[in-house]
Amino acid sequence: MPTTPIMTVADLHKTYGKAGSKQYEALKGIDFDVQPGEFVGIMGASGSGKTTLLNMLATLDQPTSGEVTIHQQPITHLKGNQLADFRAKEIGFIFQDFNLLETMTAYENIALPLMLQNVASKKIRPAVEQVATQLGINDFLTNYPNELSGGQKQRVAAARALINEPAILFGDEPTGALDSKSARELLDMFTKINQEQAVSILLVTHDPFSASYCQRILFIKDGKIGQELRRDQLSRRDFYQQILDTLGTFEQ
Amino acid sequence: MFKLALSSFKHRWRDYLVLFSGLVMSSAIFYMFEALATNKDFLKQNSMISMIGYVFQFGSVLLTIITLVYIGYANSFLLSMRKRDYGLFMLVGARKGKIGQLIWLETLLVGILATIIGILLGTGLTTGVSHLLVQTLDLTLKHFSAWYTTAALVTLVLYVGLFLIAGLFNLIALTKTPALKLLHSNDQPNRPQLHPVRQIIEVLVGVISIGIGYWAMSHLIDLQLAGIGIALVTIVLGTYLLFNAVFVWLVVLLKRFNWAQRGLNRFTLSQLSFRIRNYTKILSIVAMLFALALGAITTGMGFHQQVPLMAQGGSAYDLSLVNPTKAQQKTVNQLKPIRQATYRYKATTKVIYYNAADFNQQPFYTTHTIGKKQMSFKLVKNNAQQLKKSFYNYQLGDLQATVNINKKAVFLSAKAYHQLKQPEMQLVVFATKDFQKHFTTFKHLTKQQAKRSVNTRIGATGGRYYGYQVFNGMYSGLEFMGFFLGVAFLAMLASCLMFKILSGAAADRQRYRMLDKLGTTRSQLKKALRQEIAVLFILPGLVGIVHVLFGLQMFKIIMVTSPYQGIWLPFGIFAILYLGYYWLTLKIYQRLVL
Repeated sequence: MPTTPIMTVADLHKTYGKAGSKQYEALKGIDFDVQPGEFVGIMGASGSGKTTLLNMLATLDQPTSGEVTIHQQPITHLKGNQLADFRAKEIGFIFQDFNLLETMTAYENIALPLMLQNVASKKIRPAVEQVATQLGINDFLTNYPNELSGGQKQRVAAARALINEPAILFGDEPTGALDSKSARELLDMFTKINQEQAVSILLVTHDPFSASYCQRILFIKDGKIGQELRRDQLSRRDFYQQILDTLGTFEQ
Repeated sequence: MFKLALSSFKHRWRDYLVLFSGLVMSSAIFYMFEALATNKDFLKQNSMISMIGYVFQFGSVLLTIITLVYIGYANSFLLSMRKRDYGLFMLVGARKGKIGQLIWLETLLVGILATIIGILLGTGLTTGVSHLLVQTLDLTLKHFSAWYTTAALVTLVLYVGLFLIAGLFNLIALTKTPALKLLHSNDQPNRPQLHPVRQIIEVLVGVISIGIGYWAMSHLIDLQLAGIGIALVTIVLGTYLLFNAVFVWLVVLLKRFNWAQRGLNRFTLSQLSFRIRNYTKILSIVAMLFALALGAITTGMGFHQQVPLMAQGGSAYDLSLVNPTKAQQKTVNQLKPIRQATYRYKATTKVIYYNAADFNQQPFYTTHTIGKKQMSFKLVKNNAQQLKKSFYNYQLGDLQATVNINKKAVFLSAKAYHQLKQPEMQLVVFATKDFQKHFTTFKHLTKQQAKRSVNTRIGATGGRYYGYQVFNGMYSGLEFMGFFLGVAFLAMLASCLMFKILSGAAADRQRYRMLDKLGTTRSQLKKALRQEIAVLFILPGLVGIVHVLFGLQMFKIIMVTSPYQGIWLPFGIFAILYLGYYWLTLKIYQRLVL
């Protein structure tokens, strides 16, 4: 690879439970890179450790050992304000349950990361409108989250994650709470921003359909990467079939 | 199933603790108030005006209304905590009748337990507060006891009654709602509503009714009892309408400023507007309580300040001594008196003869009230001739020994005086710069005099030291009521506001977690919390202060001084206490949310 990776994960371990008591090792040494502009999927059954991994990549949790580097910056030991600034500037996060603030309108939700960084208020509105146009949510900017459908909510969440132009976008089962049509639209949109703006995306999912949109898929089993799958020139339909086959043998 | 109910109780013990302690505080304070209001002997003994009994009855009504709203809140909090659980029970097939029983039982159990503990706590608080007040303010109390059975009964009956109603309400609310709706009851719509026409009407009606209330309070002499009733209804109503109408607008307006786009300001404003519907009621109540507490403390303090003033108005001298010993004279000199005089006299059984020359050399000062206000007075110098004619010459007689008090004073020329055969006595009168500073010395001196039985005084008002004792005895009851009620209302206010704010903590916790995930620094989160809670404290505080400033008009009837005199002191004390409550609430909230 000619370019430096946008994210490197080196020998990541996570053990739950204090020393002496009953311990549970959720991650047993994970290594991988994400290249700039890559669309990577992480798959695994419930309890495989994929959410644990994502939490650590997104700085929501700290690993027991190992290092994660995003944009050449080691992130596992960030604390306090540094951590908050890093979250606000370098990463975007989309959750399964949207995590929108129901007390604020869609516009306010999207603008929040910029307001947090005290961006001049003149610059906020154009930025929000731009990202909203991209995601096709211009019409419901003044609505409150509970006035929106699941798909709309998730797009608002995506807009919020993208507004500060993060180095990498994390998705934790973002289609988990959506109907199939909304899910398809959201994934198409991911593909679009991935291709047009070269935003790196890391998607955690157990849904083969969502995974088929990725360029590369890492399969996690019992806290380790068990297998890697590359889409290369395959069509999405064929890739989907390949994923299904892999899952069929992998989980046995 | 009872096990199930109990397990969720354990799970949410923190919320229950907030609920329970809120109810305990509320019933404790209600008891405190009733311990005064139902104690007829105490009220009779301590009020110079018969109206005070009615004032307390109105107070009871007001407190009952507040309790009603408070229990309403507590109940909806309980309900919201349990909705999901009961929905779940229904889904797993529990019968509605059984669930109904459970709800009823739970509401009543929580209510009765809280009330009983509250009454006990109230008795303890009453004891503590009354002791503290008696000691710090140097009061004398008669017919007052911390435990008053009538008060306890009234409190118990009211609270149990209200909880019976609340239980019934819960029963209907929960069993009529389908299980699924119960499960998802937390996701309600919340768009802040703007109805310009309705809001303008609300503002108008609110301002007018508050105006009527203020007018009624300042015309209490004409309106008598009706005035208090009118003021009560109109001010409560007006405050509620104003909050309801203005608050939403204020938030929408504030959002337009650039300032609102910075940091978490927008979030804080949204939080406030999201909660508006829930908060207007509590804010109006808190504003009322704020006004009552501040008003009560201010009045209490007004009475307290009045005592030394009245004492000063009664005489130009602190104390008088008949035939002081050398040691006593030395003690007096050490006090560095600003006025001192020695008058020689000879007394028969009916007349006291003074040597007029003494008065011409050392004029006797009398205090004269000026203007309509009794409490502004001036000092006037009198020689013998002037004193003889003066209306205020009784002030000399008041300074005499008790045996001489009702005797006629006659001023003789030196020659005539010296021809009298009676033994010559000396009356020493003096005043210091600040008579309240030297109470212990005065006490010591009068004790010595009493032992020598030359200057025993019982029930006399002459001399500032004696005057102080008498007036203090008179006003103690009123002062006590003022301070006691002030403390009680303040505690009620704090528990109301704290309860309301803390009961929203669970929902806020999620929001602040989300903000954390979005990359908000801890200091930003803390600042947002500080601001949000500060607004909820400041708004009712401002309205409350305005209410008090107008409400003090009422006390013109019973107070000799202007009720506004020295007002900064109670306001300052109150501000510190209020700030303390803010800080406490903030700390608890931060602990719950962050």
